Parts: sequence; structure tokens; C-alpha cells
Amino acid sequence: MIAPPKESSIPRLASPDGSMFGRAAKGANVRRPVFHTRSYAKLLRRFILVSVTCSVLPLLLVGWASYLYYSQFSLSRMADYFQKTVEYNRKIVESFLQERTADVKLVAYTNSLDYLKDPSNLKEVFHLLNLEGSHFTDLGVIGKAGKYLSYVGPYDLMDKDYSETFWFKEVKEKGVYISDVFMGYRKVPHVIIAVLGSKGEGAYVLRATIYSEFLTSLVETAKLGQTGEVFLVNREGIYQTGPRFKGKIMDQASLPMNSFTGESGILITDPIEPQNSFSPERGIPITDLIKYGLMQSRSQQVLAYSWLKHPDWLLVVKQDFSEVFGDINHVNTAILVLLHASILAILIVSVFTAKYMIKVIKKRDQEAEGLNRQLMQASKLASIGELAAGVAHEINNPLAVILTENQVIRDLTEDEQNLDANFRDELVQSLSQIDTQVERCSHITQNLLRFSRRISVASQFIDLNVSLKHVVGLLEKRASSYGVQISLDFQEKLPKVSAFPFELEQVFVNLINNAIDAHDGKPYGSINIATRFDSSRNGLVTTVADTGSGIPDSDLERIFDPFFTTKPVGKGTGLGLSISYSIIRQMGGDISVQSELGKGTEFTVFLPCPAAAQSEILEGPRKDDLNDKA
Amino acid sequence: MIKPRLLLVDDEIPFTANLSKLLSRRGYDVSVVNDGKSALRIIEEQKFDVVILDQKMPGMDGITTLREIKKKRPHMEVIILTGYGSGDSALDGLQLGAYDYTMKPIQLSDLEEKIGQAFQRKLLQEKE
Repeated sequence: MIAPPKESSIPRLASPDGSMFGRAAKGANVRRPVFHTRSYAKLLRRFILVSVTCSVLPLLLVGWASYLYYSQFSLSRMADYFQKTVEYNRKIVESFLQERTADVKLVAYTNSLDYLKDPSNLKEVFHLLNLEGSHFTDLGVIGKAGKYLSYVGPYDLMDKDYSETFWFKEVKEKGVYISDVFMGYRKVPHVIIAVLGSKGEGAYVLRATIYSEFLTSLVETAKLGQTGEVFLVNREGIYQTGPRFKGKIMDQASLPMNSFTGESGILITDPIEPQNSFSPERGIPITDLIKYGLMQSRSQQVLAYSWLKHPDWLLVVKQDFSEVFGDINHVNTAILVLLHASILAILIVSVFTAKYMIKVIKKRDQEAEGLNRQLMQASKLASIGELAAGVAHEINNPLAVILTENQVIRDLTEDEQNLDANFRDELVQSLSQIDTQVERCSHITQNLLRFSRRISVASQFIDLNVSLKHVVGLLEKRASSYGVQISLDFQEKLPKVSAFPFELEQVFVNLINNAIDAHDGKPYGSINIATRFDSSRNGLVTTVADTGSGIPDSDLERIFDPFFTTKPVGKGTGLGLSISYSIIRQMGGDISVQSELGKGTEFTVFLPCPAAAQSEILEGPRKDDLNDKA
Repeated sequence: MIKPRLLLVDDEIPFTANLSKLLSRRGYDVSVVNDGKSALRIIEEQKFDVVILDQKMPGMDGITTLREIKKKRPHMEVIILTGYGSGDSALDGLQLGAYDYTMKPIQLSDLEEKIGQAFQRKLLQEKE
């Protein structure tokens, strides 16, 4: 069996289709709750989906857009910063080398070979060159043959022959030459600056040496955070200054040398897969940005580079991507956390809101359904009433004829003297049986008519408690014969109700009789009759609660339908409750029922009070009245 | 004891036939008509004490007939005996001066009782 929905106390008085027959009504009502549960669940899902979609989608869009924006923004900021750093360092190195070259040039261009050949003169010049910081390690004058003519410095190089060396050939050809860092004879990394001197009679090469430590110390000052470094490499990628971390001077640096195009630039490289480099300077397509998603770029490095004009060296500023973007990653992480928290909050709020809305809708539906049912029941009863009245009238006439025919036969029997005594007895018995059955029919038709009749007798003001006491007095004997005790729980000083006295009593007779009958098969039980004033509805509420067998859910829907009875044939007409219902409805009240199988049933009758009666109970008896009573 | 003179007005012929037979046997002087107009005609011609009147009849209905009877013979007692009882028509009938308003089917003894009471009232009213 399908359980009925737990609803308000409004009984299922009628089937929603308003059909006259209980069976159809029952079928319709049983399906309803199942349909409702499903549609509410569906509605709930839809509500949640809509509200979540409407709020989460924009949130995601905003979150994603701001993530992209911040990423792009920070990338361009970073590019700018690295650009400046690398340019700055390049200028320092370049100007240092330019100054040194200019120093050497000045010496070479202003002094003749004769003068410089003299070691004491050369020493004097060397001293002057190193006056502003001891940049030069040594200084030598080399003749056309590639041999030292004069030398100032810590090494013994006088016998060295440079005639076949690359740099010597270069300087003779171009006039000025700055070498890469190399070891040479002295086994210390150094750079030479050589200038072709031509003042006076003979050409010579003035050669000065700078230890690369100087260069290293120049760029070392630009340390960057924990992972940043600045260094110089030549065109082949050989370290020209000592790197801060892996490797040492004159080692091969692990750099994607082919990527360093243009004068300067910035690369984001993967040290393991350098071909995956890209340059944020040229703008990063969003797809790349996602591909190199900032969160996943821990192993990547930022490389800023700039080519020196002379010599052909590359200045590189390098820093781990994760350090550069540490802050921005924190911001992004915060955004992500906030985003997730917001989505979670939206989900929770959406579910709660949707559930609340469904609850409200459900309540409204139930109220509407309850009203609808009452309306249906009322109109159903009205149409059944008309039909019943018609049938009752049509049956009454033949019944009247039968009854007179019966009397005619009885008269004839009395007139006939020669009848056998037994025959006469049996005939009389049959005739009286006809009388009884006609009366039974008449009783049914009268009930039908009462059910359909419009009460036009003027209503009276009735004390409900008195009326109930009267009814209980009539039925007490019957109740006790069933072993049922009737208890009364009346609220004192109830306002009077406007009602039809006999009809109202008939309603309570019906209800109490049913309550007694509900104990059929039980050795004992009780019926509690209570009255109270309901100020919110301004009316009287009477409850008749029994401890009887209860009404099954399937019957509960039909008990107010005419001709519905569970009593044995001949015992009930099935009109009692429907008559009661229509009587109470005519008085502007209503009847509802709650029942639990095996535990009992409670009927609640509501009767409205006229407006004047309400003030009576609210104000209480006036002082004058009390005095009168005293 | 004097039995009242009765007029049965009812379109249900088997019913009037039986009832007139039963009442005649019990010493009543019974006349029968089957519609309202005939009833009005016959009360002009003859004298009746009590009229037993059906409510729903073809042509003129019971209530109209009652009104007309009361116009012509104010002291004539009328018992409305009908299968079509309703609160409204009962009230109408009683207000128009019907002695009683009763429903079919009715036991003969009950009807006789009502006839007796109606007759008594008529006698009392005539004395006044």
C-alpha cells in the first residue's frame, strides 16, 4: 500500500476530480502524492541548478579573467624589471670595458715606442693607469715580431712570442682588440685589451691585462633574491664571469644560445627542455599562458639577455620562475581559495534557499489542495443531493401505493371469514413484513431528503455544551452497553454559536454513534468529547476522539461520501457522515478527521461564532451580570 | 362520532383508488379528483371537511391549489401528503394555512389520526 502524504489535518474529503464515486476518487488520490514527491524533487533540483549556474558561472568567469589578467600583468611587470636589470648591468660592463680600452688607447696614442720601451717609463704609465682602482694586472709593449719590448707586471713573459696568436693578428688588422676570457700562459682567466700604437717612428702593440675577477665583481653586485644571478658569456656560451651557482668561469653554460636573437630580450625557459622557451616580451598567447600556467612553472627560469657591442659578449640575468612569481602565485592561490570557498558557500546557500522555497511552495500547494477538496466535496454533495432528492421522491410515491395496497389486502383478509387460520397468520405476517420493509425504504428516502434538503428554518443561538450534554445523555446507555465510557472536557463559558439546533444534535449523534460502533469487537474503550474556543478562527472547536479500531487510509478519503459505509448491510445507510458534513457546511463550519488504524479516530467540528459572540468571551461577563447573579 | 367528508387530490391514480377504498371502508365520505383544477371545481359544488392534497401534480401544483382553496373556503382543512417533501415547500404550505405537511409513504392509521385532528380543529374554528 502506498502511504498517504503527511499533510495538514484537512481530511481528504473528496477526490480531486470531483467524481461522485469513491472508487474513482480513491484511485486518483493514491497516485497524487507519488506524483507530487517526484515533481517537488525535480523542482528542487531545477532550483538548485539555476541558482548555482547563475551565481557560480559569473564567479568562475570573473575568477578566471582576473587570474589571466594578473598573470599577464605580472608577466609584463617581470619583463620590464628584467629588461631594466639586464640593460643596467650591460651598461656597467660595457662602460667599464670602454673606459679601460680608452685608457689603453690614450697611452698608445700619446706615447711613442721609444718612450714606452723604457721600462721605467712604462712603469710610470702603468702606475698612472691604475691610479683609479687597480684594474690592470700588467702592461706590456710588444713589437712587430710579436715579442715583448717592455713589460710591467708580476709575470715573466719577456720571452713569449705572440706573432702567431689570433689576437695579435686581429689587433694589427683592426687597431683595437678585446679578447674573451682565456687562460693563456699565466693559467689565470683574464681578458686582454690590445691597442695598435703608431705614434712616432715604429708601430707597436700596447697590451693590458684585466683579471676577469674584476668583471665578476662588477656583475656580482647585482644579486637577485635567492636564485637570481648575473653573468657574462661569449658567443659560444662560455662563462666570462664566474656564475653564482653551478659551474665556474670558462665552463660551458647551459643556455639556449640560438634563442638569444636581437639586441636584447627575455625568455622563459625550461632548463631541461630549452626548446620550450617563449618570450613574454612579444606577448604571450593565452594558450601559451595556460600551457605555462604559472602554478606549474616551478622548474622554469626567467632569462633576460643583452648583447654587448664590443666584445661580442652576452650579459644574462637569470632567476627561477617560482621566485619571480612567488608573490603573484600567493595572490593567485588566495584567489583560488576564495573562489572555492565562494562556490561552496553558494552551493550551501542555494540548497538551503531552494529547500526553503520548495517548502513554501509545498505548503501553498497543500493549502490550495485542501481548499480545492472542500470545494469539490461541497459541489459533489450538492449534485448528489439533487440526484438523491429526485430518486427519493420518485420512490416515495410507489411506496405510498404499496403501503395502501398492503392495507387493502389486510382489509380483505379481515373481511374473509372462511380463511384457514394458519394461512391467515402467515398472510398477516407477510403483510406486516411488507410494512416493515416499506418503512425501511421510507427511512432511507427520508435520510436522502434530509441530506439534500436546504435548511430554511431560522437558526438559533445555541450553547454548544448544553447541546452536547443532551446528546451524550441520549447515547450514554448505548455506549455503556458497548463497554465504552464517555468523558467530557468542556471549556466553560463558551460563546454561543448560530446553528440549527436539531441538525446540530443530529451531527453529534452521528459522530458519537460512529465512535461507539468503532469499538465493535473491543471489550472496552472511551470517547472523549472536548470543546474549546479558537480565537484565531473565531469559532468553537469540538473534538470527538475515540479509542476504537481507527479508519484505514484508503477509507479515510471516502468517509464523507454518501452511501459509503463499512457497517454490515442493513446497519448503516452510509449517509450519516455526509449528512453531518453538509449540515456543518451549511452552518459555515467544517469537519475534519484524523485516524490511526488500531488506535482510534478523532473528528474535529468547527463552528464559526457570529462577530458579537467573540467580544462576549474576550471581555468576559460584565460586572453588572456578576452583581445580578450575586 | 361523525366522520369528516374527505376530498383526495392526487394524480397517482392507484394511490387515490386504494386510499379512497380504505377510507370509505372506515366510514369516511370520500371524493377523488386527480388534479388541482378539478379540486377547485368540486369544492364549489360539494362540501368537504378535510382535503388531502398532493404537492406535485401536472397543471396546477399543490401549493397553488392550497392557496386557491384557502381563498374560497378558509375553514377547509388541508393536509399536504407528498412524496416530494422539502423544507421550503413545507414552510410555504404551513404558512398558507395547511393543517399538516406529511410525507408519503404513510401508514393508514397515522393518516387517520391526522385527519381526525384536522377535523377537530375545523369543528373548533366553526364554533368560534
